[in-house]
Amino acid sequence: MAFLAPVAAPAPRTQRQIWSVGGGKGGIGKSLLTASLGLQLARMGKRVVLVDADLGAANLHTCLGLPGPERTLADFIQRRAERIEDVLVDTGFPGLRLISGASDFLGAANIKYVQKVRVLNRIRALDVDVVLLDLGAGTAFNIIDFFLISDVSILTVVPEPTSIENGYRFIKSALYRRLRNVATHEGIRQMVDAALDPKNPLGIRTPLELVARVAIEDPEAAHLMSREMAAFQPRFVVNQVRDDADVPIGHQLVSACARHLGVKAAYAGFVHYDDAVWRSVRRRRLFMVDAPAAPAAEEIRRLARALSRGESLSLGW
Amino acid sequence: MDSLDTHYATLGLEPRASREQVEKAYRFQLEMYGEGALATYSLLAAEDVRAARARIATAYAVLADPVRRREYDVSLGLGSSSSSPLLAFPSVPLRAPAGTGGGDRPEPEEPPLPLPAPPTLPEVVTGADLKTIRESRGVSLRGIALVTKIGVRYLEYIEEDRLALLPAPVYLRGFLMEYGRALGLDPLRTAESYMARLPRAADQ
Repeated sequence: MAFLAPVAAPAPRTQRQIWSVGGGKGGIGKSLLTASLGLQLARMGKRVVLVDADLGAANLHTCLGLPGPERTLADFIQRRAERIEDVLVDTGFPGLRLISGASDFLGAANIKYVQKVRVLNRIRALDVDVVLLDLGAGTAFNIIDFFLISDVSILTVVPEPTSIENGYRFIKSALYRRLRNVATHEGIRQMVDAALDPKNPLGIRTPLELVARVAIEDPEAAHLMSREMAAFQPRFVVNQVRDDADVPIGHQLVSACARHLGVKAAYAGFVHYDDAVWRSVRRRRLFMVDAPAAPAAEEIRRLARALSRGESLSLGW
Repeated sequence: MDSLDTHYATLGLEPRASREQVEKAYRFQLEMYGEGALATYSLLAAEDVRAARARIATAYAVLADPVRRREYDVSLGLGSSSSSPLLAFPSVPLRAPAGTGGGDRPEPEEPPLPLPAPPTLPEVVTGADLKTIRESRGVSLRGIALVTKIGVRYLEYIEEDRLALLPAPVYLRGFLMEYGRALGLDPLRTAESYMARLPRAADQ
């Protein structure tokens, strides 16, 4: 279920999917999660391409134990490479290839709209099963737009106040951007923009309140917005769980999103903090390979399975 | 969005939810809106949290009370068949929320008795009255302690009317409300009927 109308490309032979891993905050394990999920999907027999879309601080290659690649997404954006396939590199793992980020090119974090569309279209046209995007921190449009075009939008949080706060901000920014896109006239766009400011004079604090406010003036527009909200279904992954008491937080986030934001999120799974993981990171090796028996590795396998089947954790009662 | 406004939606439950599910959903929501809880701390203003807690308490007071729940179902236009009336009290003691200890979880309760309709509380209720109601429901003190997180010792003091050993009225009121709620009684009525016998603070 793609968010944008499919580009006029030849019909894909397979059910190609774009997955993205976002989270709003740095240092919460997005890149490692992307790399290990990608490896697991490849092991499940899928043809996978990882894209380091963290254009400002790319490090996906390091997670995979690869040296800084010679060709990166920057080469494609700058048209030093004509085809996106030209910047694809092998990872050494069967079925898993990488488009590395542009760590050498700081300006890449602010790529222009046309460049972004070109990247998105070419990524969509790749002949693979899953394209897995590692998004950067923050809520810049470049990051959010990648998140929004994804078939599977994974929102990473760690059980810490700052991460949860950024996670909510990320969801709100993404949702407001979607709502703005379907605004039928300028008045509604202005209302959406106003709602982004928590102290807006209209007193709109949540997307639900925004839609209710729009409904007063334009029920048709409000209906469109409700449909947009229903189509937006981020999937939470709670990473670096240190205490089993943190596991239910994913359920609480889903519940809070439904009630207070009007967002139908899902709880895809959790990954425990695991010393084996950082030992592997220190050796610049992927813990999935280095410590396959580690609890975190098993949790990644479970997560990959759940995400590819569209399953989520239920409260169990 | 009116479906968000039912007591069932407040607790995230289906109208067919069992008594046990009501309990678990209630505990889940309490934790979610708890003091400084991660999932709501940065999302909601203090007043929103208070409003949410009040909504949850109301929903629970209705849904945990078989009689009130049935009346409520009727008011929603739900047939009495949609929710099984007079559901048994949870057959297994509620699990303590993950991570809050729970290492010494007691054996499951003896098989539950059908839960009789809650008696109308008299103006004045004694500890012995509460004990009778509890025993008529086949619930052990330990079971109440698990649900309410009130120590067994304090529950005993309450039932034995050992007034001198009870905590200050402000805490006692909370204990009694939790205790009443756990028995499917009106929490406020429970507290007030019990405390009606106590010397007023000014007289002490």
